[in-house]
Amino acid sequence: MVMLRGFLVLVVFFLLGEALRLFAGLPVSGGVLGMVMVTFTLIMRGRVSDELAEASRGLISVLVLLIAPGVVGVFFVFDQFAGHWGTVAVALVAGTLLSVFTTLLLMKKVAGSTAKGVDHG
Amino acid sequence: MADAPVFEDLMSTWASGPMLSIALTLGAFMVAQWLFARFGRPLWMPPVLIAALLLAAVVAASGLGFEKYSQGAAWLTALLGPTTVALGVPLYQQMHHIRALWKPILATLPVAASLAAVYALGIAWMMGASPLVLASLAPKSVTAPIAMGIAEQLGGSVSLTLGGLLITGVLASLFVDWAARWLNIQDDRIIGFALGLNGHAIGTARAFEISPTAGAFASLGMGLTGVFTALLLPFAFQLWLPAP
Repeated sequence: MVMLRGFLVLVVFFLLGEALRLFAGLPVSGGVLGMVMVTFTLIMRGRVSDELAEASRGLISVLVLLIAPGVVGVFFVFDQFAGHWGTVAVALVAGTLLSVFTTLLLMKKVAGSTAKGVDHG
Repeated sequence: MADAPVFEDLMSTWASGPMLSIALTLGAFMVAQWLFARFGRPLWMPPVLIAALLLAAVVAASGLGFEKYSQGAAWLTALLGPTTVALGVPLYQQMHHIRALWKPILATLPVAASLAAVYALGIAWMMGASPLVLASLAPKSVTAPIAMGIAEQLGGSVSLTLGGLLITGVLASLFVDWAARWLNIQDDRIIGFALGLNGHAIGTARAFEISPTAGAFASLGMGLTGVFTALLLPFAFQLWLPAP
């Protein structure tokens, strides 16, 4: 029951996110809008209930399980883009390497000395 | 072959509901976790990739077919919505860390999230990629539900986008690990943020393996990148490539 109550809260926030997406005409998914709304609600309340914390921990621990089915589809469209995979591979490998370095360098630069404090929290 | 029709009957009975797909997905997930631990947790082969490879092999070999499989698996993937919402909870729990770093986060995000798309697009463009491929690659660092929407809006292929997402997520997990070591960055907050910003949900799943703090910053990076890219990319793409 406790888990279910937390789960209900998450589903309701997802529905609210979808509603916001529809009425505000935002090109962002209902899940992300729901995530923003839940964060703000918790900040306003100043605390998080045990059932909500429990339910979200449970769902996040199976995140990989939920992504996997979508990833399977990739292997079935492989030949559809036969001529493109070389370009795609180079662009993704080089592009991702560059953007990872950029992010880390920028954060390190801007965060400066404040970033040294907490290790492996 | 008197047994063949019986097997086919059984398959079609099983495949008529979602339970076969759900059982296969749960099984693949558990085997993948076990294999991942068994092989010493290799970063280049995250559980999501192992599970997807196992599933693709079983789905193809059993004759179930991807269409049937994904219809059943939709019962599981429907939970991605509330799970994305759930990421708001660790975000709140780590708010004191985020408050302490809000300036660097706000300064880094627009530049890094734009460059995450621009680097790959620029390289693909120089290599002569078609507008379809460019539109499909543009949202490569954005979490899947948002990325699919962006790709459609730009006139890309959703399948190719998902392929790009998978590769980007795996590469980002790998590269963040290398780059952080090379740049001597040990701050979980910065590592987590870079994982979420560049590697969306796959990077975020990886960050939660490192620590709750890294996970929260990855959720933040993923969410902000998703919102930022969804709002700006369609507009920027139109300016850059008037006729996709």
